Amino acid sequence: MSDTHQTEIFVQQLTECQGRLFGYIYSMLGEHSRAMDVVQETNLVLWRKKDEFRAGAAFMPWALAVARYQVLAHVRDQGRDKCLLDSELVLALSEEVEQQVDQLEIMRLALRKCMSDLPREKMDMLQLRYYRAMPIAGIAKSMGRKVEAVKVALLRLRRGLADCMHRRMLES
Amino acid sequence: MASPEIDEFERLLFDWEDGTLDTTGTARLRDLLRISPEARNVYIQRQMFGAILKLEGEAGIASSNSEHSGREVGTDHARQGDTLLSLRVPNDVADVSMMLHDPKDSREVVHRRYRSLLFVVAASILLCVVLGRWLLVESRLQSAEQGQPAASEAWPGKQEATSAGIALVTRLVDVTWQDAEYEFTVGDALSAGVVGLDSGVAQIEFFCGATVILEGPAKLVLESSTVARLQSGRLRAQVPPAARGFQIHADELRVVDLGTEFGVAVSDGEADLQVFDGEVELHQPNGEQRLVSAGNAITHAAGGVVEAAELTPDEFLGLEALDDRVRNQKEDRYQRWLRHSMELRKDPRIITYYSMEQDRDWKRKLASSVVPENRDLDGAIVGAKRVVGRWPQKSAIEFKRPGDRIRVNIPGQFGSLTFACWVKIDSLDRWFNSLFLTDSYQRGEPHWQILDTGQLFFSVRRGGGPGKGHHKVLSPPFWDASLSGRWLHLATTYDVETKITRHFLNGEKLCEEPIPDKLFVQQTCVGKATIGNWSSPTRPEADFAIRNLNGSMDEFMLFRDALKPNEIRELFIQGRP
Repeated sequence: MSDTHQTEIFVQQLTECQGRLFGYIYSMLGEHSRAMDVVQETNLVLWRKKDEFRAGAAFMPWALAVARYQVLAHVRDQGRDKCLLDSELVLALSEEVEQQVDQLEIMRLALRKCMSDLPREKMDMLQLRYYRAMPIAGIAKSMGRKVEAVKVALLRLRRGLADCMHRRMLES
Repeated sequence: MASPEIDEFERLLFDWEDGTLDTTGTARLRDLLRISPEARNVYIQRQMFGAILKLEGEAGIASSNSEHSGREVGTDHARQGDTLLSLRVPNDVADVSMMLHDPKDSREVVHRRYRSLLFVVAASILLCVVLGRWLLVESRLQSAEQGQPAASEAWPGKQEATSAGIALVTRLVDVTWQDAEYEFTVGDALSAGVVGLDSGVAQIEFFCGATVILEGPAKLVLESSTVARLQSGRLRAQVPPAARGFQIHADELRVVDLGTEFGVAVSDGEADLQVFDGEVELHQPNGEQRLVSAGNAITHAAGGVVEAAELTPDEFLGLEALDDRVRNQKEDRYQRWLRHSMELRKDPRIITYYSMEQDRDWKRKLASSVVPENRDLDGAIVGAKRVVGRWPQKSAIEFKRPGDRIRVNIPGQFGSLTFACWVKIDSLDRWFNSLFLTDSYQRGEPHWQILDTGQLFFSVRRGGGPGKGHHKVLSPPFWDASLSGRWLHLATTYDVETKITRHFLNGEKLCEEPIPDKLFVQQTCVGKATIGNWSSPTRPEADFAIRNLNGSMDEFMLFRDALKPNEIRELFIQGRP
């Protein structure tokens, strides 16, 4: 097999795993921009090590192992001020999260279905919080509601959607 | 169903994500994670949920506009693959409306964050696609550049083209911006955020179909494709029936359009509304609604008092009046360019110059503009059409079909070189998209082109063994679909004194790179060459490489000197449309 072809396969695999890599890293760090940084670092490491990867071998476990290592390095460098999880917790949660991200696309489809039934106001709130990362105080202000009320509404919404997502996954 | 402990855990986690949890709370959160398997479960569930929503959000941001604006790029690879962060979502999730009602504390942050988010997405596309592509290109380039045609290949991992925004800047007259970081040019897509004018007039077309003319000094906060908040200044909105429901918020008022034309002005806590045509629904802070119909005006004073006012339509610049101003500006700019061009023709450093001006369409000769006149430098237009250029008064040459080209023959030996042109790229369909390519690519001959990755590419052939034929200088990617149809000034200098190649976009340096001694060529030449395509007659048995540009060119110049960055800047300033 030619080098070019090898590279193509590699890039394709790398591209395809971006969502899952993000899912894993975001779950460990819980903050979007730092998660994106670590995704990029992971991509770079994977790229540099691409010769170690053989076509036909399972790509995802290898990529996740590299990602775990990068998350640990990040947690170590950033310390407790910035990261919720410490190294010990990262290791304790890693295996379960790795299994979960395998189902990311299925979850995503399930969640889309759940969200399609949402009333407009709830959808707006969700988008502001999750798509735009707007602080709760900002959302409360923009909707003319109390911070506590928005918090309760969002917590309830999140729980409801998470339950709906799991229910739909079980159904399918 | 949730236990009190889990309830507490969820609240703590929620506050932590919000950045409002103190250290005691954070410590408690960690403890719960350590001791409770149930908490760990909930943690993973919530984080996965957050990650998926983030992915959906990015997909929504990235894809909403190509769908809404109908400016999707029809390249052969654009519709392939749906892979990177799965950048496609169904329409119902795509229209992300932003509701940022407090500009002071959240707007800037979100705006910047939004940009950086796009940047991160773009960067990871870069890494996965471009970097990978880049390396592939490098490895394939050597064979391709040694006379073998470069086939146009689809790239398997390429994601669907995307662009961002909720509105477009369609016209600008004498604008000075309030904030250097938020300066826009005609054709820019605007995301949610602020448009601040110190002076001048901007025409903004919302994707919902409403057109707003904003007169400086003014500050307009774009919130979604259907909502904007006028903080200060005046605007006139024209809302065709298709865009009914378009809202302008002014002070505490909400103006909901019912298919009409109206003006709004905000100053010193007062908001004025004037309806010129149709009617609008006015929502007052006390929850009251009223209809205001054509010919009526109201003033909303600081104390919340709403009263009838006099209609003064002339105070609000309309589309027609703006058109006059735009036309005047175009004429001014064209004249400015013409004066500059006349000087340029006499520049002793110029090798050849095609101003691409005036000629009739049936003339298939492209007259050289060099003074004193040298008819030997005239080019031949093959296939390509004459179209309107940067200004209505001026023509350009459009390359569309695979055979379209301009043939030139430029004798002589040179040292340093500068290439410069104005180009409007519709899309980058080919692996290599030609700007200027010499036929046979022998020693000393330059190749100037754009890769499908949006990178400028310049090289001078040195010759020698395989893979050692030239030193290519690639700019960072500068082009994406959002620049489609926009006039851009491109320039590249090849400096034999300093052995440095520099690329420029719109008068700004994109990058510079030294040429290693072993690939450096002191003496350059051109001979037979093609603008906007490639002719490779040295290998008659080979299929000809398709490197046609998909776009138009308006002015092309080649100098026997490496122009200084300030000179390139001047070319841009004097020639910008």
